[in-house]
Amino acid sequence: MGTAGAFVGTGALTLAILVGTGGGAPAGAASNPGTCAASLLTKSARPVNIVFWESTSQSNATTLTNLTNAFNSMQHSVHVTLVQQGGSDVTWEKYQAGLSNGQLPDLAQIQDTDLQGAIDTGSILPAQTCINTNHFPTSDFVPQLLSYWKVRGVQWALPFAVSNPILYYNKLAFSKAGLNPDQPPATLPQMLTDAMALKKAGYGSALKLDSWHLETWLASANQSFVNNSNGRQGRASAAAFNGATGRKIFTLLDSFVRSGLATTNSSTGPSSFDNLLGVGNGKYAMTIDTSGALGTIQSLLNGGHYPNVKLGVGGFPVLSAKTKGGIEPGGSALYIMKKSSPAKQAAAWQYVTYLDGTQSQAAWSAGTGYIPVRKSSTKTATLQTLWHSNPAFAVAYQQQVSGITTAATSGSVIGDYNDVRTAVLNAEMSMFQSGVSPAAALAAASAQVTSALQNYNQRIGS
Amino acid sequence: MTFVDLHRPLRRFSTRRRREALIGYAFILPPLLVFSVFTFYPFLHNFKQALYETPPFPNQPSRYVGLHQAGHVLSSSQFLQSLTSTILFTLIVVPLGLFAGLLLAVAAHRRLRGIGIYRTIFSSTVVTSVAIAAVIFGTFMDPVVGLLPWLGINTSPPLLENPTWALLAVALVTVWQGLGLSFIIMSAGLQSVPDDVLEAAEIDGASPAARFWHVTVPLLSPILFFALVIGTISAFQSFGQIDLLTGANSAYLHTDVLTYLIYQNIQGQAPNPGTASVLSIALFVMTLMLTLIQLRFVELRVHYAQ
Amino acid sequence: MLSVLTLIVLIPLYVTVVNSLLQPSLIAHQPPPLFPVHPVWNAYSTAWTQGDLGIYLRNSAIATAIIVSGQLLTTIFAAYAFAYLAFPFKRTLFVVFLSTMMIPFEVTLVSNLATVTQLGWYNTFAGLTVPFLATGFGTFLLRQSFLQLPGDLREAAQLDGYGHIRFLFRIALPLARPTVAALAVFSFLGAWNQYLWPLVVTGDNNAIRTVQIGLKQLQATQANQVNVTLAGTIIAAAPLLVLLIVFQKQLVRGLTAGAVK
Repeated sequence: MGTAGAFVGTGALTLAILVGTGGGAPAGAASNPGTCAASLLTKSARPVNIVFWESTSQSNATTLTNLTNAFNSMQHSVHVTLVQQGGSDVTWEKYQAGLSNGQLPDLAQIQDTDLQGAIDTGSILPAQTCINTNHFPTSDFVPQLLSYWKVRGVQWALPFAVSNPILYYNKLAFSKAGLNPDQPPATLPQMLTDAMALKKAGYGSALKLDSWHLETWLASANQSFVNNSNGRQGRASAAAFNGATGRKIFTLLDSFVRSGLATTNSSTGPSSFDNLLGVGNGKYAMTIDTSGALGTIQSLLNGGHYPNVKLGVGGFPVLSAKTKGGIEPGGSALYIMKKSSPAKQAAAWQYVTYLDGTQSQAAWSAGTGYIPVRKSSTKTATLQTLWHSNPAFAVAYQQQVSGITTAATSGSVIGDYNDVRTAVLNAEMSMFQSGVSPAAALAAASAQVTSALQNYNQRIGS
Repeated sequence: MTFVDLHRPLRRFSTRRRREALIGYAFILPPLLVFSVFTFYPFLHNFKQALYETPPFPNQPSRYVGLHQAGHVLSSSQFLQSLTSTILFTLIVVPLGLFAGLLLAVAAHRRLRGIGIYRTIFSSTVVTSVAIAAVIFGTFMDPVVGLLPWLGINTSPPLLENPTWALLAVALVTVWQGLGLSFIIMSAGLQSVPDDVLEAAEIDGASPAARFWHVTVPLLSPILFFALVIGTISAFQSFGQIDLLTGANSAYLHTDVLTYLIYQNIQGQAPNPGTASVLSIALFVMTLMLTLIQLRFVELRVHYAQ
Repeated sequence: MLSVLTLIVLIPLYVTVVNSLLQPSLIAHQPPPLFPVHPVWNAYSTAWTQGDLGIYLRNSAIATAIIVSGQLLTTIFAAYAFAYLAFPFKRTLFVVFLSTMMIPFEVTLVSNLATVTQLGWYNTFAGLTVPFLATGFGTFLLRQSFLQLPGDLREAAQLDGYGHIRFLFRIALPLARPTVAALAVFSFLGAWNQYLWPLVVTGDNNAIRTVQIGLKQLQATQANQVNVTLAGTIIAAAPLLVLLIVFQKQLVRGLTAGAVK
């Protein structure tokens, strides 16, 4: 896949960055180079060692290791040691433990939902500081991916491993049901209509119970999930979805499930992959899930054991074709620690800009299925070749850049996100299983989310 | 009559005594240290921490709120539901486990050739942990790749996502996993029941059922009581199977027993040690109360051998 | 009757073994195959390597070894002291030891996690094992055993010039061997099957993760490969199965100690 070429290119690019930013340091840098300045690095004779807590899964860990090895061997100012945590939740737990016993890394890959928490620990050096000191250009970045991690004008971290929800469907099932296999439903109402045709042909659909999807449907209609600009202009203190848009979403989902068109499954525990497994064995004709699973699903279905499935991939079925919104991204970003020495912070920044460089992101996206964070990465030979031969991998990126960038489409910033998501899920399940009306379920969700937000705010002392 | 020299023997005696005391203290010091740091201190610390509202992250101060937090937590619907789930769970698991173990023990308590193999088979679940049992049954109960559709169990929603049935499912898995231990204990008890009493009853013409209820069970009552107390305490401590079978959905599925609620408050995005301390004290009080109640009321009916 | 009960106990284990040898696509078949006609063995090697079960088993072995030997050592010395030595407040201290049985571990979990974290033992073998290096129940049982030995044994040994340590290890312990063996097995079982504490105090890049938590990890990462997950449970249960077969008597004794007078 030309990765060797990618690495050589990356190495050249890294050298260029190191030389370039070093030369761009402001005059008088010797006395006060400013936090995170690259010039802090050129001073030390030996490489600065930094520790990076990364949260990749086993399959993606190899790609990251390769990228890091290339970085370490292409230059001698910085040496990165990878510590694989085995998951984003684990990284966060270890991070919290580290806050009380001092065992923290220099750089950490922290997941999207921990953004407010990370800010509140007061232990993060904002990427904005490094951007300002080094005059780092960010125009090449996909704007929505930057804006997720920008709160009150401060870019807290640079995005790294990003994905968004896409539609997985069975083209053969669509044909059998008389639907056009190359035209998956583009809106949620259309999805229900298609599901009815599929049902007649003997196929179900799967709806994975994940609050992420509700938030994404709101974002697709340019509606905020919580108040204060989705938590971006001030602390979120109340739910903001108990309106017409929210009710429309819940009503559609309610009829989707209660009319028997869709089967639900949990997003955690032993049955969390049932929706995808069901597509594989022909039980379900379509489901929405993260673009990050595309590689796994494709390799699973290409094994030859599932002859009745031809996988198709479509964009997330937005709420309405009439309202212009965006698809909020999900994933993780790279955070630099305040307590590291200035040299280590500068070293971490070098590594961050390398990982988020054009060639690296192309290699990263090709190897993992994540969305490349730079627009220029999509023009590289690596991604062009991949997307040409396997267009499914381009879907997530294309729907990301085609959306508008507002607070509502950038995702919410919430302290105790898990509590909030549990509240939404409980409401959804009471609607699907206990016959609670969509309006009542939505109101209950809204009340519980508000209470969870206020509980957190009270504990944080604000 | 021995002449006692009042001075020297006494001094030698006390030196030896002192030396023995020092050795005694030295021998018990290591475990005492472990207990102090990891049993008594944390137990007592709960009472202090329960009075503070703790921040989500360790590097911020706690706020003293007195009994306000305890009142808030203990009257919350979350706690009350957790308490209900824990009690229901215990009510299913303990009697069922006792009865099943007894049944197995009685069935295997015969002088047949090869009965040893049956005894090993009946003890076999003791090699499974709750984690192993939970992963196995979690797979069986999966609606897509599991066995339930073949067995004709087609609840909608599936068992482990169904608030009506999830607790029962988790309880049954727990009972299965505990069969081995229950069998071993009951079997040991049966073996201490004198055969001549049973034979005498048989000669007297008592039916098997009558023999069982009027002779075997009373004679087994000490061990039944022991198993009841141990079983109840163990049921209250259940955690692994809930984490693996219902996990984060436990609250909705009504399977969030007290231990799981405590766990949720010390892990996760914004841990709450203050609330967890209140819950820990509640767990302790409940366990203690249940044990005392059983000691007070159930032990009366136990027939200890003369 | 016997056969019905056998089926109830064994069927889950039988189906697990069968499914671990099937190809994943066959497992979801209706009806499921009852016997693996073409057994596929790579589930076990996948669980061992990709699923890292080999590493987890090693970690469990290390942690269990530390806990069992720690418990045995502290219990042997403490039980001896309570049975044979005289020192002030002995009765009170013994009650203190017994009282630890009244405090379930889950009740001390919150603060223990904080203590272990502050000691820097989060995610280390120290953190995994040190809280469990003593047992009140074990001390109680072994003391009982010592007390049941003939009373003049100690005096006779003293006359022969035996010090405490020599008496303990040469005479008392060998005579109390059944109880010690039972305690060792009981302790092993408890340590090997631990779930909550390892879950809370580890969670990392495999350096410490034990096999019970490894199963949770396996279940989460082996989405469609149900056969691998089930192979993992068999691997995790194997050491205990060996224990059951070889040490059945001690196992029974350990599990029923305190129950039968």
